Amino acid sequence: MKLLKREIVAILDSPWQLALLTYIPIMGLLLLWGLFSAGLPRALPVAVVDFDQSTMTRLLTRHLQANPSVKVIHYTHLQDAKKAMQQADVYALLVFPYQLKKKLFTAQQPVIDIRYNSQFLLVGKLLSSQLQLTLANSLKSLASIKELAQGTPKQQVAINLSPVSNQTTALFNQNNNYVAFLVPPILIALLQIIAMLVFVNSLSFELQRTKEDNWYHHGIRAVLLTKLFFYSACMLLHGTLIYTFLYLHLNLPIAGPIWMLILSLLLMIIAVWLIVLTLFFFLKDSTRTVSVCGAIFAPAFSFMGITFPSNNMPDLAQIWRALMPSSHYIEQHIATVNYGQNITQLLSQMTSYSGFLLLLLPIIYLIKKGRNA
Amino acid sequence: MNFWQLLKLEFTAIFADKAILLTVLGGGLLYSFLYPLPYAHQVPTEQLIVVVDHDNSSLSRAIIRHADASAKIKIIAKVNSIKQAKEWITDAKAYGLLVIPQNFRRNLILGKGATLSYGGDASYFLIYSAIAQGLIEVGLDTSKSLQRFALLSKGNGSKKTDKALNSIQLNSIPVFNSTLGYTPYIVPGLFLLILHQTLLIATGILGAGQWHQKSYWLQHSSISLVCARICAFFSIYSLLSSFYIGYCFYFYQVNTLANMSEVLLLMLPFLLATVCAGISLSTLFLHRDLPTQALLLSSMPILFVCGFVWPLALIPDPIIWLSQIVPAVPAIKAMLILNQMGAPWESIINNWLHLWVLFVLFFTLAVFAVHQRQKKMRGANVD
Repeated sequence: MKLLKREIVAILDSPWQLALLTYIPIMGLLLLWGLFSAGLPRALPVAVVDFDQSTMTRLLTRHLQANPSVKVIHYTHLQDAKKAMQQADVYALLVFPYQLKKKLFTAQQPVIDIRYNSQFLLVGKLLSSQLQLTLANSLKSLASIKELAQGTPKQQVAINLSPVSNQTTALFNQNNNYVAFLVPPILIALLQIIAMLVFVNSLSFELQRTKEDNWYHHGIRAVLLTKLFFYSACMLLHGTLIYTFLYLHLNLPIAGPIWMLILSLLLMIIAVWLIVLTLFFFLKDSTRTVSVCGAIFAPAFSFMGITFPSNNMPDLAQIWRALMPSSHYIEQHIATVNYGQNITQLLSQMTSYSGFLLLLLPIIYLIKKGRNA
Repeated sequence: MNFWQLLKLEFTAIFADKAILLTVLGGGLLYSFLYPLPYAHQVPTEQLIVVVDHDNSSLSRAIIRHADASAKIKIIAKVNSIKQAKEWITDAKAYGLLVIPQNFRRNLILGKGATLSYGGDASYFLIYSAIAQGLIEVGLDTSKSLQRFALLSKGNGSKKTDKALNSIQLNSIPVFNSTLGYTPYIVPGLFLLILHQTLLIATGILGAGQWHQKSYWLQHSSISLVCARICAFFSIYSLLSSFYIGYCFYFYQVNTLANMSEVLLLMLPFLLATVCAGISLSTLFLHRDLPTQALLLSSMPILFVCGFVWPLALIPDPIIWLSQIVPAVPAIKAMLILNQMGAPWESIINNWLHLWVLFVLFFTLAVFAVHQRQKKMRGANVD
């Protein structure tokens, strides 16, 4: 109890540590959710240059306008449209060639050119598939008129046009919602950084203390255990807040129970503790520990394998990935939230953290060395 | 003491500080390698899927072979039911499934049409899009070849069949990043952000370490101190920027469409504005470990607000307004437009002027704030 009071006094002395423990995680949550709150990419500007100006190209344009992801912007000159592309004012460019309708009717195979901005990869890829889908669909309606004119019975037309139809399902995130896809891992990466900073700060308080108030004086094991319990509880509380906001307030789909997420978060936090303790006792300087920990944890999000799949990462990246507690956590997160796994599966996944326990050896060694010094 | 001596003192202070060296040189070199590391293979390939084949016909086996031949997909197993396939997916052994219904071939021969069902794990968007794209291509191809057989069997010539099947061609081509690679997509923006963040941290650590001790920074006017600090960091970061934008862009095969003088012209206000922002920020810190902490937390929000990951039009306006005071935001936008998308200089003139406005703003702020710090310290001396 005395040690807990000692921690709280130390926190109240440091406005930054207080901020990290209270409002900064909440601000981060609101800011990042705010960024992606639109959820689905809608009304993305697409330049249309219509050199044909026929009923047919106008029909195709109307169909494009009806697609919720597309916002059609007309350009008269190709040069202007190209410039808009280069300035990222539009993300794709679609050109209906001169005499498209005539060429189609005289079977000369006209070409509709689509250029999409792949420098903005996610937006570009989305537009490319949406534009092709819309155009293919509306061209099919034109082709069905041709079939009907040739005397094909109505029921048969659709089958003749596409004998094999495709049914594609996005499993676990049916409308490709970015909030469900991107926001939880980003927040976890952020929480991991905040936890790391809180732990480092709580340790560096000890460097500033007098010899009588020193942690060896109070018994280092008791001091560290107090820190572990107290700060882990604070971070778990913020984690719970994130889960409550995402899965209860925003009602994002979740298949498993939330307490399982909290359990795996606890293990992640303990793994972060172990890394921080090792580096801190090794470097014995708060600025350098922050720099080194920052260098390790800052790229955690790219290594999670959410955006770019982990099975396509090179071996070196796989190794670095295994060193990040967050990449172990995120697999359990997805298995719980999306696949609704049961507790035995979760427990077997959690064994992947066991490697971090090896860090206990250098920590104990370095603490002993510090005591003798 | 003249300006040159002050500049020399600045350099000495920077190079004597291990934490700054660790951030600037260590961080700078490590990040240039570490951040793009996961994306080294550029595109997701050979994603694992399972097949549920209820048909077991020659046609269904051909479809499976074609799917497996796609570079995007690898078929890992054939299972008996959708339930089993689900288990493979929830055990994270596979990321998608292809279902071929019963009587698939028979229905097609009878002219009844049939449906192929695909599913991909959308917990991972890139995996899902690779699986969906790969399987849709296979489905469309099967459809086309069946139509071709039907038309040929009706006695059409092969040329006419071709024209009937492809009455119109959709020529869809990615531009600016023609390989659709992940590194050329993420590197240009990310590297400018790394330069920006490490520069802010370095100036922050230098300032925070000095404000409570008496040293050379008290013996000069705040303007000359700020100017000297700008010169020192600007020269260090010109070198680091040339490594990032010169060497790394080539190494990671990022588009470099602009000519060198234009890029230099763009980097000038970016680095100046960032140093000044860093000096202004540094006056807020008194502990040397705070700048790293504060800026570490800001990195991810800044990256996402730059507009190349998530379209700007969908970000709420207040967040965009707020982001305009960060030099990295206009700089990344301008760099992408100028260097990666090859637009002429006049396209980015607004962003460029924006950077100069930020420079003037932060310069004034830095001079003022450093002056306040000096006054405080001198006041403390008198006491």
